[in-house]
Amino acid sequence: MRDREIDEILKQAAHSAPGVDPAVLDRVARSIGASLAPVRPLPPAGALAGGLVLICAAVALAGAALLGLHGVQKLSVFEDALVFPVLGILICLTAKALAGEMIPGSRRRAAPGVLLGVGSLALLAVFAFLFRDYRTDRFMAQGVACLTAGLLHAVPAALASWWLLRRGFAVNSMAAGVAAGTLAGLAGVTMLELHCPNFQALHVMLWHTAVMPMCAAAGALVARVARR
Amino acid sequence: MQPDSDLEMLMARYQRGDFAAATALIHRLSPQLHRFFIVQIASRGDADDLLQETWMRIHEVRHTYRAGEPVLPWLYAIARHIRVDHYRKASRTAAREAPLEEMPEVAAAPPARSAGTTDLKELLAPLPQSQREVVEMLKVAGMSLEDVARATSSSVGSVKQKAHRAYETLRERLRGGVS
Repeated sequence: MRDREIDEILKQAAHSAPGVDPAVLDRVARSIGASLAPVRPLPPAGALAGGLVLICAAVALAGAALLGLHGVQKLSVFEDALVFPVLGILICLTAKALAGEMIPGSRRRAAPGVLLGVGSLALLAVFAFLFRDYRTDRFMAQGVACLTAGLLHAVPAALASWWLLRRGFAVNSMAAGVAAGTLAGLAGVTMLELHCPNFQALHVMLWHTAVMPMCAAAGALVARVARR
Repeated sequence: MQPDSDLEMLMARYQRGDFAAATALIHRLSPQLHRFFIVQIASRGDADDLLQETWMRIHEVRHTYRAGEPVLPWLYAIARHIRVDHYRKASRTAAREAPLEEMPEVAAAPPARSAGTTDLKELLAPLPQSQREVVEMLKVAGMSLEDVARATSSSVGSVKQKAHRAYETLRERLRGGVS
């Protein structure tokens, strides 16, 4: 049996499907008519993504400026040229994905979970390539301080992102939660790279990178609770 | 099937508060949405409820439609959300509620249908949910691969693969003489 024959059978079956009760359609039209008013469409997805990138950059820069820009001062030009463009690309991709998740029927290049995985691996690869000091001085104390600072900076980024996208509508709230958490986490990681002067490989790879998946998990949790 | 530009124009007028455009959209798009729900999970009554719920949600979030974008992926993305929500609520209710006593098993009467035609729901029944919705959108609603990918938040490759697998199953089933 050819595909065309199956197409034909499906079309015939569709025509024989029961129609909609006209009373239902009238009821829907009446309900909608009762509250019909002009609405302002959402801005283009590119503009929303641009806004999200600005929020991330502003939170990271403001946080690092308040705590001190010790990290960026200690990094070499080569390290700067590798770490921040990678963070920038990840922020742009995640912002685009998050804006897309808030507009039904948007084109999706990569699922937020995939973006989170690829982003985490990309950061780990960059940090492993750049930092070769494997000492672990005050590993826990410094690590927890960095993780806390990263997470605390993700909170205003997440709130500002929610405010920007509050008129959107997530058809998949979990995916939107993961994307929002990842983006907020990236703001936290960027702040840490600007601020933290500890470039011991394990410290950066574990405590800095962990901000992103932890925020994504928090985003998914919030979405799950909100959906109930 | 509607020309896309026509639907886009109606959506734009609906966003501006034009009641005639809203009514036209409801009358033109409801039959295919209703069929989408019937094929997926619902009885006719459920499909009616889901259709009304979908239009109410569309009305609430009509500002998320952007002029110039295709209407059907936007519409079906919302309809899928309603269907998934309904399924989730129904599962939760079913898990909480237990029947007081066993109901006698009564075979349902087969639905009346015209000779020579196959019921769409019955035809697509053996397919997994994800393949069923792809076939419905692609072959019954007449959407493009790109539009189906947008509506289902997946890639064109994944839609093609699902459609291919669904057709393999349907071919087997039809060869077995379902119609």
